[in-house]
Amino acid sequence: MLLRLALRNIWRNRRRSLLTISAMVVSASLLILALGVFSGMFRDMLSSATEQYHGHLVISAAGYQEDREMYDHFAPAGDLLRRLSAQPEITGVSPRMRAFGLVSHGDNTDPAELLGVRPRGEESVTTLARQVVSGDFLAPEPGNGAVIGRGLADKLGVSPGDELVFVTQAADGSIGNDLLTVRGVFATGDSGHDNSLVMVGLPWLQKVMALPGQVHELAVAVAEPMEAPRIAEQIKPLLPKGMEILDWGQLLPEMREAIAGYDVSRMIITIILYFAAGLGILNTFFMSVMERTREFGILMAIGMRPMRIRILVLLETLAMGLVSLVLGVGLGLALSLYMQKVGIDLSGTLTPVTYAGGTILPRLHAVIEWSNLAVPAAMLLVVCLLAGFLPANRAAKLKPVEALREE
Amino acid sequence: MRGKIAAALASLLLLATAASPALALDLRQLIREVEEQYMGVSSKARMTMQVRTEHWERTLEMEAWSLGRDYFLTRILAPPKERGVATLKVDQEVWNYLPKVDRVIKIPPSMLGGAWMGSHITNDDLVKANQIDRDYDFTLLEETDELWHIEGIPKPDAAVIWGRIEYTVEKERRVPLVISYFDEEGLKVRDIVFDEVRAVDGRTIPMRMTVQPSDEPAERTVMHYTTIDFDIGIEESFFSLRNLKKR
Repeated sequence: MLLRLALRNIWRNRRRSLLTISAMVVSASLLILALGVFSGMFRDMLSSATEQYHGHLVISAAGYQEDREMYDHFAPAGDLLRRLSAQPEITGVSPRMRAFGLVSHGDNTDPAELLGVRPRGEESVTTLARQVVSGDFLAPEPGNGAVIGRGLADKLGVSPGDELVFVTQAADGSIGNDLLTVRGVFATGDSGHDNSLVMVGLPWLQKVMALPGQVHELAVAVAEPMEAPRIAEQIKPLLPKGMEILDWGQLLPEMREAIAGYDVSRMIITIILYFAAGLGILNTFFMSVMERTREFGILMAIGMRPMRIRILVLLETLAMGLVSLVLGVGLGLALSLYMQKVGIDLSGTLTPVTYAGGTILPRLHAVIEWSNLAVPAAMLLVVCLLAGFLPANRAAKLKPVEALREE
Repeated sequence: MRGKIAAALASLLLLATAASPALALDLRQLIREVEEQYMGVSSKARMTMQVRTEHWERTLEMEAWSLGRDYFLTRILAPPKERGVATLKVDQEVWNYLPKVDRVIKIPPSMLGGAWMGSHITNDDLVKANQIDRDYDFTLLEETDELWHIEGIPKPDAAVIWGRIEYTVEKERRVPLVISYFDEEGLKVRDIVFDEVRAVDGRTIPMRMTVQPSDEPAERTVMHYTTIDFDIGIEESFFSLRNLKKR
């Protein structure tokens, strides 16, 4: 009976109800869209930070990631590699060797970081192979091929087909040096890597560095990046002594903080937006309760309890809230889906921004995460109930005699 | 009381020496002699360089030529893996020749702080050493019967790597015994110790030089001159990229 009454009351003043509902629908759907785009930005950042270089998890000698000491190398046991690949969450493993030295072409010489990889393994962990802007990625048997960052290629003045000299101090103290052939040039948007990174074949680098069979790290990709810390715990017991496994949050603490900060800023944006919407809703309900003062007086005079009046008003707000929720989430989802499929390309006006080790690409692109729907939806109901609470209280506290006299 | 008077006298004396304008000893000239002891007008030397680090130890045999303070060429003779690897310095520039790939690479200015041939000597030592008497101001810290202790502080506008250099020079033979290098914070970075002083071609020079980094007591580079000849009559044209590549 109360529910029917509530629905009738809503229907009675259609224009006002529709306006209130549309305010809620617009704020909820825009919020969902904004959060989706926001998430998209962070997803771009996270994937650029992890999938362009580090991987989601990295296994290395304890302490290696801090100072990248050349002598902290290890020979990856086939057994370990097999066990890693057997984990269902792990989608790729790339054994790597890292070396620092000089690369030279003609009269130009620059310091560089060389990353020796097996191309197939690397492609399963990082997206570098897809970021080659001229030439090709390393061949499956890379020989002395090299894929070089665009900034570094420009500094050296090389393009695919050119020759590079690499010179460094090998692990035995000798002067390690050899020729490379540039196969491709990559551009990630991260100036740090674009200006100094050279990808080469693992066997080639092992030979130059006089470290046969050795690597410095195993980069690991997992299906769900946010699950990385849990998977790291799972793998830890498989590792030999003296080895450590770090997840991307440990490798890139700024990135982890940026993401933790995201959760807070999402809450703040939600609160600000809904505070404004909530005031509007509060206003509408107050008006509708004031208008009906006489009516409530009659209801009470014929024996309706104050509690039931309160419930009646709350039911009205809740009903409108639920309608708005369904429409708002639906519209928000539709907008987000559009932005996910199509998006807006801003590369004409913006350049990529590197922040916290990740790159924000110049595009608006949404990602659909359940929490981005659930948070606005739940908050919408909370706001509705809060906005309904004061008018409901007021209606319940009316004295029937005074209310009846009200004009 | 007597101690105080003595201290006061001593400080007065010190003040007097420091203030004395006509110091008999030309410190700048002395340091220049020390820094150029292996160069002369021109020189040719054979030496072994023994490098010891935490992870490996190796000995290189090499030969070296110099002309004045601006020209320097050195080539590795052994071990076979590195035979022919050569370094050429002309003025402020350094090139390395790598026979294995038959290429010359120029060391960029930003990398001059890097190790030279894997030793504890940096490329900067090759480039900047010849400028020390120009870039630093020198004061006599202490003088004993046998030794001078001299301190070098960089001139305000000089682009240098050391915050302070301390020389201990033997008076009689005018040869250095120890040179200590400090960074801008005043922390000692390394000592270079000289010994086996011998007379060669009318000069008195230490035939052995040990570079001892202060933060790695177990590591060091020992440069041992087996022969050195001065005033050998070579021209600037000898120090060419073409000659760098000659095996």
